[in-house]
Formats: sequence, C-alpha cells, structure tokens
Amino acid sequence: MWIEMTLNGKPVAVEAPPDISLLDLLRDYLNLTGTKEGCAVGECGACAVIMDGRLVNSCMVLAPQAHGSEVITIEGVHGPDGGPNDLQQNFIEYGAVQCGICIPGMIMAGEALLMHNPNPSRQEIRMGLAGNLCRCTGYQQIVDAIEATAKGRQKG
Amino acid sequence: MSHFTQPLEYVGRPAQRVDALDKVMGRAKYIADYRVPGMLHARCLRSTLPHARIARLDTTPALRVPGVRAVITSDDFVDHGLYGFPVKDKYMLAYQKVRYVGEAIATVAADTPQAALAGAQAILCELEPLPALFDATRALDPDAPQVGPDRKNGNREHPNLKSDHMLVCKGNAEAELADCPIVLDRRYFTDWQEHAYIEPEGVLAIPTPEGGVVVYAPNQSPFINQNNLAMVLGLPINLVRVIQPTVGGSFGGKDDIIYESSAQAAKLALVTGRPVRMVFSREESLVASYKRDAMHMHIRLGADRDGTLRACWFRGILDSGAYASETPFTAWRASIHAMGAYRYNACDVDVYCVYTNNGYAGAFRGFGNPEVCFAVEQTVDELADMLGMDPIDLRLKNCLRLGDETAHGQKLDESMGLVECINTVRRLSDWDRKRAEYSRQTSTEKRRGIGVAIMYHGMSLGAEGADYAGATISVLPDYSVDLTSGLTDYGTGSRTVFTLIAAEELGVRPDRIRIQRPDTNTAIESGPTVASRTTVLGGNAMRAAARNLRQTLDLAAADLLRCDPQQLIRVGESYVGPDEEAVAWEKIVDHAREMGLILSAHGKWEAPKIVWDHHHGRGTPYMAYVYGAQVAEVEVDLRTGNTQVLHLWAVHDIGKVIFPQGAYGQLYGGITQGLGYALTEQITYRDGYIQETNFESYLIPTSVDVPEITAQFVESSYSYGPYGAKNIAEPSLVPTAPAIANAIAHATGRRVRELPMNLERVLLGHDLQPPASRDAAIRGVWMETRSMPQTPAPAAPRIYA
Ligand code: FES
Ligand code: FES
Repeated sequence: MWIEMTLNGKPVAVEAPPDISLLDLLRDYLNLTGTKEGCAVGECGACAVIMDGRLVNSCMVLAPQAHGSEVITIEGVHGPDGGPNDLQQNFIEYGAVQCGICIPGMIMAGEALLMHNPNPSRQEIRMGLAGNLCRCTGYQQIVDAIEATAKGRQKG
Repeated sequence: MSHFTQPLEYVGRPAQRVDALDKVMGRAKYIADYRVPGMLHARCLRSTLPHARIARLDTTPALRVPGVRAVITSDDFVDHGLYGFPVKDKYMLAYQKVRYVGEAIATVAADTPQAALAGAQAILCELEPLPALFDATRALDPDAPQVGPDRKNGNREHPNLKSDHMLVCKGNAEAELADCPIVLDRRYFTDWQEHAYIEPEGVLAIPTPEGGVVVYAPNQSPFINQNNLAMVLGLPINLVRVIQPTVGGSFGGKDDIIYESSAQAAKLALVTGRPVRMVFSREESLVASYKRDAMHMHIRLGADRDGTLRACWFRGILDSGAYASETPFTAWRASIHAMGAYRYNACDVDVYCVYTNNGYAGAFRGFGNPEVCFAVEQTVDELADMLGMDPIDLRLKNCLRLGDETAHGQKLDESMGLVECINTVRRLSDWDRKRAEYSRQTSTEKRRGIGVAIMYHGMSLGAEGADYAGATISVLPDYSVDLTSGLTDYGTGSRTVFTLIAAEELGVRPDRIRIQRPDTNTAIESGPTVASRTTVLGGNAMRAAARNLRQTLDLAAADLLRCDPQQLIRVGESYVGPDEEAVAWEKIVDHAREMGLILSAHGKWEAPKIVWDHHHGRGTPYMAYVYGAQVAEVEVDLRTGNTQVLHLWAVHDIGKVIFPQGAYGQLYGGITQGLGYALTEQITYRDGYIQETNFESYLIPTSVDVPEITAQFVESSYSYGPYGAKNIAEPSLVPTAPAIANAIAHATGRRVRELPMNLERVLLGHDLQPPASRDAAIRGVWMETRSMPQTPAPAAPRIYA
C-alpha cells in the first residue's frame, strides 16, 4: 500500500506492505537508519520518534498508522545550519554519549519532553526518559544535558 | 627539550568525545545500518535442547525454499570450526552434539530475512536428548552426566571440570581459623547476568576478488577474530580483514558470539560470492549469547575480637555453562580478588569452573570480581555488625595500605589510594550521621539504610597472558594527524583518550587528529581489548608513537630554525627557536618532507613482567591495582520488599584521569550495571531454558531506577601508566551490589546472600517460586513468613571460645 506522511517537514509517499512497523518503514524503505532497533517490543526506546507531537516507539506503530501523520526522526533534528541543535550540542558537551546506540531515541525523548514541559526538574527529566534504556551512561550526564538545554531555552 | 615539566595541555582537561557528533546526529553507522548491493541475510538454526546428539542434519530442504542461496554446517569449516581460547572446546557451528539451548547448528543465507528464516525452519534436524546437567554444585559428582568435551590428555580430571583449581595460598588458613575467637562461615550465590548492550549482535561479510573476505564485526578484539577466521576458513591471514564499525555497547559481551557469527557470515559470503549480513533480534541475543557466570561461594573469615582480620578461606564454583569461552581466566581473576582488599595472616582460596548445560558464560565487565566482592564485602560487614563496630572503621582497620603485602605476596609500593577513597566517600555521603540515624528507625513500613563496600582490581591481563600494545601515527598531506590503535573503542571513549595523548605529545590541537576505525589491515596487533587495559597499554603505545613522530618534527624544526632541538620551545602548535619567531606547525611539516624525513611512526609498549605460580598460588598477579569505595543509601519497603536506591557515592583511585568526562561516564555507567546486578537483573535457566528473552522480563535499570550519583576520583599516580593513569571501566561496577546489600541489611536487619536481591529475597529471604530442582517443602513458606520480624536475629556465627 502507499503510505503518505510528512517526514521531517517534507511530504513523502512510499509503497510498503501493510504489516510492517513504522520502524521498518523508516529504516528499510526510507533508508533513515538513525532510528535504531533495540528490542522490537516497545521496551527500549531506541526506535523513538515524534509522531504528531507525541513520542512513540516506532517499533510498536504499524506503518499504515503513520499515514497522514507528521513524523520527526533524528534525521530531522538539527540546528539551522544543519549541525547539532542546542540539545545535541549539550549531549556532546556534558558527555551524555558513550556507545551511542540509544542516543537518537534519547534526543527524541528529550525534545518531546521539552516540548511539553519546558522547565522540567531533574526528576521530571528522569520520568521523561523512563521509556528509553541506556546500558552505558547511567543516565546522569543525559539528564545533565537535557537540564542545561531547558535552562538555555528558558533564557531564549 | 623536556616534555615532563610542562603543564599538561590536553590530558586531564575538559574534552569532548571524538565520535559524539556523529552519534547525536544519528549518522553513526552500526552493523544493522550497513546496506551494500547484493547483500544476503543470514539466519541460524538453533538448538531447542540443552544437551543432545545431532542424529540427523539435512539441509537440502532449506535450499528448495525460494530465495535461499546457501546453507552451511560445521562440515563447511576446517576441523569443523573448532576454536576457543584458552580452551578449544567450541565449534563455529555445533558438531555432533549441542550443549545449550540456543546453540547454532546451521546457518542459511537468503535474499531476504524472511526467506532466511523460512530456510532455517526447513532444515531437517533431529536431536536425540542426552542427560543434561544444570546444577554446578553437582557437576563433579562421580555420577554426573558428562557434559564437557572428551579430553585428549588422558582424562586426569572429571570431564566436567573446565578449569584448573585457581589457588591463592598464604600460611595455614585452617590452623589460623581454628585459632580465631570469631569465625564467620557464609555461603553466597551470584546469578547470571546479561550484558544487554542495546545493539544486538550482528556482522557483515564481504567477499573479495582475491578469494578472501572483509568482515565488519562489532567485536572487541578484531585480531582474534581474524585469526579464528583464517583458521576455520583455511585462508592465509592476509586474505582475512576484520574492521570494527561503531559498536553499540559490549561490556565484555561481543567476543566469542561475534567470532562465531563472523565465521558463519564469512563462509556464506565465500560460498555465495555475495555480501552476507546477519543481525540478531533481542530474543536471539538473549538466548544465544554468553553471559556473566553464576557463582557459588563459600567463605570463612576469621578475626580477633577487636576486629583484626586474620584468615580467609574461600571456595568458589563458577557455573559457566556449556563452553569455556574466557571463564578459566574469570575464575583466576575471581581467585585473586576473593579475599578482598585486606591484610590477612593466612589465606586459602580455591576457585574453579565447571561445565553445565545452562547457556554459557564468558567475559563480562569485572570478570569474576563483582561476584567475589559480593561475598567478601558482605561477610566483612557482618563481622562489623557482630562486633558492634562501624563498618567503615572495621575496613580502615584492615584494608591494604601503601607498603603492605597482599595475600598473594605482592608488595604495594606505589599508587595506593584506597584509604583516601574510603575517607572521602565517608565524608561525601555524610556516613556517620546517617548510619547512626538509620540505626534508630522503628517504622514497620519503610526503612532506610546506608551501606559501604570497598574493592581493588588488578590492572590489565596480569598472569592471563602476554601484555603489549602497538599504535601508529602519521601526518597526512592536509596536515591532519592520523592514528591507529590495535585496541578498540566499543563505547568506552578510548579513541578520545588516544587522541588527547597524541595531541599532548605532539603539541597539536586535538581537532587536527583523526583516529581510524580498528582495522586488521592498518592497526598493529595489540592483544585483546579486555581487562580495562586500553588506557594504560594502548595509551602508552600511542604515547610512544607520538613521541617518535615528535622527535622527527623536532629535528626538522631545529634544522629550519638553525638551532639544537633542545633550544626549541612551543607556543601553541608553533615552534619557536632562539630568534623568537613563531613558525607554524605546517611549515615544520613541509620542511620535514623537504628533508626527506618520514612523518609516520609507530609505538609499542609492553607491561612490566609479572610472575605467578599457579601451583602454589603465590606471586605478583598484576602489575598494579585500582581501588575504590562506594556507599549506597536505600529505602526498603518492609511490606513489599521493594528497594529504592536513594543515592550512590563512589570514589575511585584510577591514577591520573586523562579524559575526565569519559571517566565519569564509565563510573556512572558501571555503577548502573552494578545496580541492576544487585536488584533486578535475573537470568533464570529452567532446565536449561532461559526464561528472560527480552527487556520486558530482563530488567535493566531505567532512568528512574538510578539515583543521582556523586562521584570523585583519587589520582594516585602510577609510574608505568601514561601520565600516571590507571583504569576505570571494570572496577566501577564491582562494589555496587555489595554496597546496596549492606545498605539493605542496615535497613532491614536481613542479609540477602543471593543476587539479584529481588522483592521476595529482600522480604522473605528466599525465592517465592523456588526453581523446580529445589526442595518442595519451602513452597508453602509465603503464607508463614508474610509478616517480617521487626528485628530479625542475626544468623548465629560460629564462635570459638
Ligand atoms: S526497538 Fe522499539 S522500543 Fe525497543
Ligand atoms: S550510550 Fe550506549 S546504550 Fe546509551
């Protein structure tokens, strides 16, 4: 079937079987491999994308459900010059990145959190990341990076 | 010109990971992200029985499945693909027998993953069950079924004995114990742990026109993989090239399982002439991959009434499953650390591993030390409780100090920061106030506790093997500097460590430097990337390489500036001679080239020799040690057994810190794995079948399970380390579980002697649903012991008058 959506701000139409996940659609049919698969059962958040303003695990979304929606993946997150945005820059500066496999999902979760709660406490940041597993960092520097970004955006 | 007296410009200063930008942008490529034209997909047929004879294996039906291009079995490898170090006991695909549920039997390559799966399912495979063994403590019984391999050397030992008895012997521990007024006699058990890297296993093999193969493999040690591949494929080694792509976490876990996958994909690539990629699902990863061993421990500690430790007697059996992998080394490291970082008059340690049919165990961060630390650090705590002593005071009274001799006979004559770690963690955690306050709690709902654990950890391989590393450095035409190391970065940050070291020695900005992916074609073989050895071994090699290159550039600069090299000084990257004019680094490079000098160099470094007498359990097991102390504060819900860790403090002596942000990251991450090990991570082999097959049942800590962590480093310089550095990756998780256990005991008065300390073990002191093999009598216990005693009596220690 044909699936149409707005992907990272641009309209796309792609033909794909109806029984695949949005994750597979992104990775295998649209060649956007920034979104990762860690479990395929909705437990790890490596596949997180923002769909119609909500953070979703794309492995748990059937591709046809994305029809007509607006999807943002890690490839759609960047600064005006195409380089890192403030959140991504803070992930670098605060040492929030180790192996990196969870990081696209973490960035998406961070953006979604800040969209809905521009001034979160550290505990609220932890709650916002609770669906994203990281085996390397212990989360502390990820929380630091999101906290710093929130403060920076508050200042404008 | 002296490099030693100048302040360090890059080492130890704030820096950013060299690969962070690609990762935050989603551009870093992991194996599952690689796509090459004509690529086939591979899938394994895996064993459904824990121990069986392969009675029939017919792959022809798979070849009739549309899309299937090839199927391989052990017959397709030289010597059936037998490999393994230090014990050669595993096949790249099962040969004649399977020994665990999930063992690979045959591999199919097909046009699509779906066709590969259909092909694997079409294979005719008849397995004839054999008696299996699941209880490691019975493995050496005379009537235990043989599950280990036949031995060619005359079978001196029980075939289920996997390793030698690893001994540490000092004095006569039995006699010393008999003479101690206080002896604690305790048994501990630590369970299997899964690495749970978020990137499951995968490989990509590409055949070359010369008949060789290039394998992209997220392994830790590409040269071992290359050697194995050449051996089982029957290829000269120069036709096998292994490249490490970005690795999505490993923690010790991506060696053997990746070597096997590499061999299978490589063989299929050679057979089909097409690239072959294999990527595991999470379920396949959990079922097939090796884990941290489970360990049965029996410890007896003897002390005087004033708390002076006198003797340690320790027996440990590693249930390390169906194959050896690196577990004989794990057993050795466990034996060396079994008595903890304390002084004793006498010590008697014996640790060994056995074959069972519970999956298989291999390397995992900490490598035997987290297991034994859980036992010894709780036993020491129990001793403090018994004597009414503060647990930190008792540790300070007995812990190893500068100038002491370890139980093995090693003199600790430098870089010893343990006491400072303990004192610092005591202060940071406000230990004395909290310890007193929480000892007075009366609540029957929730109680808090605070607990401590200390550790030491031998650096690098020690007596496990030859300890050396190499590195290369060169200046490229665009004046960038290119590095290679034979040791790899699977998320640890070592690429950044090497970059900072090269920048420091060469006197150039880190952003001028690029470090190549580990590639057996370009890097120098450096032994395995394990044992937290990368910073010291690889760092020293990189330092040597950079110094060699620096010497060449200094010569060129001296020639251009008409002076002696000793007269040169550096201002930023520029060289300044006696006439005080700054000359750009690029100009010096140009001049060196005009002089015909070669602007590339390599460096090699070998660790100081160590001596270990395996038969007598005496010697110098490691070149040096890192030390650490952690404190955990917990709140236990007495009604449910739920333990929330409220805060963790960690102070570790790791020598000079080279890349601070990375070192803190290693510490936080390791502690988090230790927290999961302590509380939630449980692998259950029920009659050989793993029960936890994805993250909904294998519970690793989430961001809300992990508290804020306060971390600090003690930098007691090590003379052989680069700039005095030691290491951090593994030690970080070693004391976390016992610190939490001791905090739980403080909160509840109840000792949990098994990992993980899940709800029922904290609440009841045992499992709610005992495994089928245990005595059925304890099944009814839930009703009887529902309400927890207010002040449970401590288990009676054995006290000699
Ligand atoms: S891959 Fe979607 S949640 Fe894990
Ligand atoms: S950085 Fe490795 S899983 Fe998060």
